[in-house]
Amino acid sequence: MKKILCLVLALVMITALCACGKPAEKKKFIMGIDPEYPPFSYLGEDGKYSGFDVEVCQAACDKLGWEMEIFSVNWDEKLVQLSSKECDCVWSGMTIRDSMYKEGYVISKPYFYNTQVLMVKADSGYRSAADLAGKVVAVQLGTSGEALLQEDLADLASSFESVMTCDSFLKCFTELAGNAADAVFVDLPVASAYAAEHEGYLIINEELGAEQYGIAFRPGDTELCASIEGAVAELVKDGTYAKIAEKYPDIIDNLIFLNS
Amino acid sequence: MSLMTMILKMSEGLGKTCAIFFLTLLFSLPLGMIVALLRMSKNKVVSSVTRFIISVLRGTPLMLQLLAVTYGPYYLFGSNVARNKLIPVVIAFAINYAAYFAEIYRGGIESISVGQYEAAEVLGYSKFQTFMRIILPQVVKRIMPSVTNEVVTLVKDTSMAFTVSYTEMFTIGKQIANSETSFLPFIVAGVFYYVFNAIVDYVMGRIEKKLDYYR
Repeated sequence: MKKILCLVLALVMITALCACGKPAEKKKFIMGIDPEYPPFSYLGEDGKYSGFDVEVCQAACDKLGWEMEIFSVNWDEKLVQLSSKECDCVWSGMTIRDSMYKEGYVISKPYFYNTQVLMVKADSGYRSAADLAGKVVAVQLGTSGEALLQEDLADLASSFESVMTCDSFLKCFTELAGNAADAVFVDLPVASAYAAEHEGYLIINEELGAEQYGIAFRPGDTELCASIEGAVAELVKDGTYAKIAEKYPDIIDNLIFLNS
Repeated sequence: MSLMTMILKMSEGLGKTCAIFFLTLLFSLPLGMIVALLRMSKNKVVSSVTRFIISVLRGTPLMLQLLAVTYGPYYLFGSNVARNKLIPVVIAFAINYAAYFAEIYRGGIESISVGQYEAAEVLGYSKFQTFMRIILPQVVKRIMPSVTNEVVTLVKDTSMAFTVSYTEMFTIGKQIANSETSFLPFIVAGVFYYVFNAIVDYVMGRIEKKLDYYR
């Protein structure tokens, strides 16, 4: 028994020594995304993750000489997954909330203006939030929209028959399409991207919550945040950022770096 | 949010969890028997078709079946998605559990020796009488532990109804966990499930004891 233990320990030490000799590997940066959040992050038709945030992150990592890896988070647990080091940031059309600062997360400068809107079927006749009294409204669990309905817009939420929580936006939209929900409460860019691709939907022209998107890093990761912010700033300067943004016409008007 | 309000809010969803649990048992226990009898049918076509259906139901995730039952009709025929999600949820759960129960029943029925059928025939019992009076009571006794196993699993599986936006207890727990950024609701949910299962265990134990005659 002792001999075997010795042998195992010896092997472990040898492998540990071998590891010392290797040159320093490229720094790996794991980006946490919600893979069902077009146009910011989604699974593209070629089977690879794509979207505005993914492309910007890739360009920033190229600039820094880092290797980028994508980790798809469970959106309602994103901060827990970030804390437990499953990813190094959450960068996926994430709304900055006060509670994130309170818990010590390092949040980048905001890069996107966002509002929450209600999306309905065009033939439904609902044209304002008040029309939806006594109706079912779907929202994605873990989004700022869901938090708004629980807190700031609790009065509006109580006028609905019920708030249906789905685990992805695509399910919210399926519920709306299948008439199980009468409206979806969703971030404006997601709604406009969906309405552009599918006919028969209408966004109610009422801005229900003004917010900003940012990137979340673990508490204490100020340096990491600064390097990413620096790289993105360079991308803005050399025009790469604008070039990427052109591919996403639905969101280009709300990008803070391009419209300031 | 205090622990008390958290518990109160989550127990609101407990009713919906119980609804899935009891309705699933109500439909799947008898349905399982029908499926088991079809599976053991002497007609080769019937038995192999049933066998195939069981293998699909046991071989694919319950979550997928939930999605298929809830959203399948919409994607295939463009029909409406059910507003009351309890209906598709119970249909999916009942069908899935019936497949498992069917195999448990089959195992029980096939474990009874041929001698008993022969003896019953000699005594002038009809086939139906033999099954109802002699075979079934012994089967029920034998399969109780396996059935308890499935029932306990069912309690925990109810949390999967979340994937089709059915707001049961665990979904409410997730909502609270999200808005409060706290892990506590998950612990509360764990305690709820454990207590629920402790009760199930106790009740099934009592039933088993009741059936424990002849020994």
